[in-house]
Amino acid sequence: MELSRREFTKFGCKIIIGAAAGTTLIESIATIDAQEATSSKNYDWTKHYWGYIVDTSKCIGCGRCANACKLENHVPFDEPVYRTWVERYRITNEGREEKVTIDSPNGGIDGFTDDIPADEVKKAFYVPKICNHCENPPCVQVCPVGATYETEDGVVLVDYNYCIGCRYCIQGCPYGARYFNTEKGTADKCTWCYHRITKGLLPACVQACPVGARKFGDLKDPESEINKILDKERINVLKPDLGTKPKVYYVGLDREVR
Amino acid sequence: MQPHLKRAFIILILVIIGFLFVRSFIVPGSFGQYGWYRGDSVAELRELPVGYAGSASCSDVNCHNSVYTIWVNSSHKTVNCETCHGPSQNHVTDTRTMPTPANDTREFCGMCHFKRTARPADFPQIDPDTHGENLQCTYCHNPHKPWFL
Ligand code: HEC
Ligand code: HEC
Ligand code: HEC
Repeated sequence: MELSRREFTKFGCKIIIGAAAGTTLIESIATIDAQEATSSKNYDWTKHYWGYIVDTSKCIGCGRCANACKLENHVPFDEPVYRTWVERYRITNEGREEKVTIDSPNGGIDGFTDDIPADEVKKAFYVPKICNHCENPPCVQVCPVGATYETEDGVVLVDYNYCIGCRYCIQGCPYGARYFNTEKGTADKCTWCYHRITKGLLPACVQACPVGARKFGDLKDPESEINKILDKERINVLKPDLGTKPKVYYVGLDREVR
Repeated sequence: MQPHLKRAFIILILVIIGFLFVRSFIVPGSFGQYGWYRGDSVAELRELPVGYAGSASCSDVNCHNSVYTIWVNSSHKTVNCETCHGPSQNHVTDTRTMPTPANDTREFCGMCHFKRTARPADFPQIDPDTHGENLQCTYCHNPHKPWFL
């Protein structure tokens, strides 16, 4: 078969345009399917905006929250990675200076033992830590592929199928709340138990807390318990000067806590 | 139009079409559905299995209603069943799969109750060396109603 250059180009163009049109058509059909699958859920994320409150004056440092989190979310127990953990702050007098000792042995999962004699400690308290699900999340900004994002209901999530494991987000988080999941080979973090809250359950750590030091609720609902606390108590967030706008609010936060 | 410009133009269009063609294979269908991320991943994360069923699911009359009723009026009512008994959703959906037995060692009760400097002073704490003569706590206290309170 003899083809002139003109005929060859015409022919080629037709094939490419045809193929492009074909894939777009298939793609749009696939999207309609996907939308139908999510709309069958009766959870409507435009109706919620979640928030979290930690009351440090109530925490007894039992570490059941960190334990429940690992069990619920299958975080490996033999690796020093945590979606939530409990820190202990102990302030002692060193001459005229104050000395602050901060520790979190195994994230608090095995409990804490007193290794500084009680009479030397001036002030001591526990501080539970968790992903702050910032309104301006630095971890989302630095992701090069769009594998981490903030949902409509205010939860910062990781797409495990799309994450390339570059660890930028782990470095970008000023709160150290992200870790590397060696099983999946991706970044990982607290989801506020997204699989639970979208089914009307509480996050595992909130449910496990025996003293109500952790509260979870809907900021859009004016009657919710956390809105009542936010209206009444003196509230602080971690590292407010960074402008990340955390949605984990702390009651009774000491100046030493960062 | 001059022929060499026309040729360049056609090549440019071909490159753009080729790019769109390749892109439609690489970029997943739901990308950009809600924002700059894969929309399907939201549903995937919602569908993950639940481990902790919650205390209320124990209260059915055919289940642990007797334990539940004494617990719900005890000082341990803020301590969720599964905080001691471990995640039990599988046991709730199929009662033939048993949850792991509750930890009844002194150390386990002690995670909450042993005297520690950093604990709030008004929380009931005991000295592990002197309290209960080194016996198991459940020897004297019922974990579901630790005291007659
Ligand atoms: C403070 C920890 C704790 C909590 C909270 C707790 N349990 Fe238990 N549970 C135990 C321990 C420890 C045992 C082992 C019994 C023993 O050694 O006396 C036990 C035993 C049991 C048993 C088997 C023995 C029996 O008494 O029939 C059942 C059933 C049970 N628990 C149900 C529940 C339910 C339901 C709840 C919530 C309403 C609950 N438990 C809350 C610690 C706890
Ligand atoms: C997850 C933490 C946790 C565990 C584990 C736990 N408790 Fe408790 N316990 C509590 C809380 C919270 C209270 C209520 C404290 C209050 O009223 O301020 C309490 C109250 C008590 C009281 C009543 C104290 C009082 O003065 O009112 C006793 C006794 C007690 N627990 C014994 C036990 C025993 C025995 C075990 C082990 C089977 C145990 N606890 C395990 C959290 C725990
Ligand atoms: C020999 C029986 C016995 C054993 C074993 C025992 N207790 Fe007690 N417990 C008591 C009695 C009696 C009291 C009430 C009198 C008191 O405060 O000492 C009590 C009180 C308590 C209180 C309330 C203290 C307060 O200040 O309100 C707690 C908490 C407690 N026990 C926890 C435990 C834990 C945890 C264990 C296991 C490590 C344990 N008990 C083992 C007999 C026992």
